Amino acid sequence: MNTNRRSFILARRVIQQRLADRRTLALMVVVPVVLLSFMGLLIRNEPGKLVVGIVNEDQGISIAGATFNLGDRMLAVLDGFEEFDSQSMTAAEARRKLDAGDADAVITVGDGFTQQVIETNRLALVVEFEGSNPMISDRLTKLLERVALQAANVAAVAGSPMPTANTPNTANTTGVETTIESRYVHGGADYDTLDYMAPAMIGFFVFFFVFLLTCISFLRERVAGTLERLQATPIRPREIIVGYMLGFLLFGLLQGAVMLLFTVFVLDIHYAGNLINIFLVEMLLVALSVNLGIFLSTFAQNEFQVLQFMPLIVVSQGLLGGMIWQVEDMPGWLQPVSRVMPLTYANEALRDVMIKGESLLDVWGLVLILIGYAVLFVLLAARTAGRAKI
Amino acid sequence: MTAAIEAHDIHKKFPNGPYALRGLSLSVRRGEIYGLLGPNGAGKSTLIRVIAGLHSPDSGQVQVLDHTMPDKNVLARVGYMTQASALYTDLTVWQNVAFFAGLMGCRDKSAIEAAIEFVGLLDRKNSLIGTLSGGMRQRVSLASVLPHQPDLILLDEPTVGVDPQLRFQFWDHFRQMAARGITLLVSSHVMDEAERCDRLGFMRMGQLIAEGTAAELRDRAGTNDLERAFLHFAEEKGVDNHEH
Ligand SMILES: Nc1ncnc2c1ncn2[C@@H]1O[C@H](COP(=O)(O)OP(=O)(O)OP(=O)(O)O)[C@@H](O)[C@H]1O
Ligand SMILES: [Mg+2]
Repeated sequence: MNTNRRSFILARRVIQQRLADRRTLALMVVVPVVLLSFMGLLIRNEPGKLVVGIVNEDQGISIAGATFNLGDRMLAVLDGFEEFDSQSMTAAEARRKLDAGDADAVITVGDGFTQQVIETNRLALVVEFEGSNPMISDRLTKLLERVALQAANVAAVAGSPMPTANTPNTANTTGVETTIESRYVHGGADYDTLDYMAPAMIGFFVFFFVFLLTCISFLRERVAGTLERLQATPIRPREIIVGYMLGFLLFGLLQGAVMLLFTVFVLDIHYAGNLINIFLVEMLLVALSVNLGIFLSTFAQNEFQVLQFMPLIVVSQGLLGGMIWQVEDMPGWLQPVSRVMPLTYANEALRDVMIKGESLLDVWGLVLILIGYAVLFVLLAARTAGRAKI
Repeated sequence: MTAAIEAHDIHKKFPNGPYALRGLSLSVRRGEIYGLLGPNGAGKSTLIRVIAGLHSPDSGQVQVLDHTMPDKNVLARVGYMTQASALYTDLTVWQNVAFFAGLMGCRDKSAIEAAIEFVGLLDRKNSLIGTLSGGMRQRVSLASVLPHQPDLILLDEPTVGVDPQLRFQFWDHFRQMAARGITLLVSSHVMDEAERCDRLGFMRMGQLIAEGTAAELRDRAGTNDLERAFLHFAEEKGVDNHEH
């Protein structure tokens, strides 16, 4: 018998074994297609409209008998951009919307603005960014530069006795110098994508490792028969689960702490949070991951099948959980999918706590949802831990 | 004194499987060694699992040390050694034995050490289970049910893979434990082990087909060989087994 023949015999065995596991085969084909289509959607997706408010406190000036108010004209300019959902608002409204994250940026046109622009030939746009997503701030800044230019054109036309040719939006031919004075509610101008992603990354990796390790540990416990032995001791299912949670909490928090220190001190992430709050959110995440791992281990007969959970449970949450792409910007029908995923809420909570420096009370809604998921998974895991090997 | 194990009319069927236990009743007295003998698939392990409270029977009742099973609290007084050694291969001998002892409420280091010494592995107590031979694992598995001084020990084929000399020692020790009032329920295929049990139960197709001391069973079958005795009772029962 030659080598080729033996190799064929081995190949046949490998194929037989894989064919015996239909689920893995199906997932090998189906899952990549699903994940690819998600990625395609997310990358090609047109982001949602940017909410830009304008607070006009200017009275305007009188030119040739008519009132000219550059602030009002600016609102018209903003309306001309299809990227914007522009809203006129009072200063108080603006404050509230910015703090609540309901507006992406607010332009404030102060008293005497019109006159100042006409007299000094300088247009300084005062903008306050919400700032927690640097990608949005970047996009806004570029668009607002164009807004400033167009406004400068308007001002130049109105201010000069001899109207110049109306060439908006291309080059600054007006002689009016434009600048943008930026302020940020969260973060700052030097705040980048990494700042946005780091908190979610910490959450993601904690989830990923704790989930995977628990799932495999519990699978082994079941396959090796030690679960059966545990069940023949006085330990109760809920005690098994608490034991697993305590054990993995140590490693989850250790991992989280190392990542936190690394991102803050080496990667220079802008960090405004309170360590205790971050750890509390992380503890919830560990509890949730451990119990999801225990529960899903029931649906795996071997380590291969645990690996199937990676694309299904882990990668999908990485893509759709708001780590890279904002949930709000996803296609409408995809958002409910994100809203089912626990990591979506963990990411949001971690980001609010780390970057915005909010307290747990500020994010109580998210914390409550995470607790809800943890409780649900604990109940499911308790059934798994209590069930004898069938 | 009441019996250590009292099982009454146990039925157990697995989903998509055959009947594993069919109306089995069994009574094991305190301080005796009761041997369960029967071919593969007779239902020995299933019966032991039902007694340990791992499976709930479809019908029938089990009492262990006066408690109706399943009852978590009584399990601290029971030791259950599974048929295939169920241990954490990434932990050491000591860690494994101490873990199960701890769950049973025993944190006594000397008791743990004594159990490991009993199976002759004190010199390997810091070895990982993964580096031990099959027979050694079986010995660790036995050691892990001993430290908490159970009143009842369920042993599912405890001597499989154990060398003859050590097997002899095991049985000497089982006899000593029984003399101290500990009850042992042992399943086995090995007939010379059966001789060292106080009473034997022959199992076949989920039923107890005969019960008694080795001598009684031989007498009733009219043979001086236990193996032949088993076949005799199996044939006797054979008629009604075919009905199912
Ligand atoms: N978890 C299970 N699921 C389905 N059927 C089972 C299960 N466990 C046991 N059985 C079936 O129940 C019957 C009795 O099995 P059991 O393990 O009790 O036999 P046994 O007497 O211990 O055999 P052996 O001497 O080989 O250990 C067998 O037919 C077996 O296939
Ligand atoms: Mg068996």
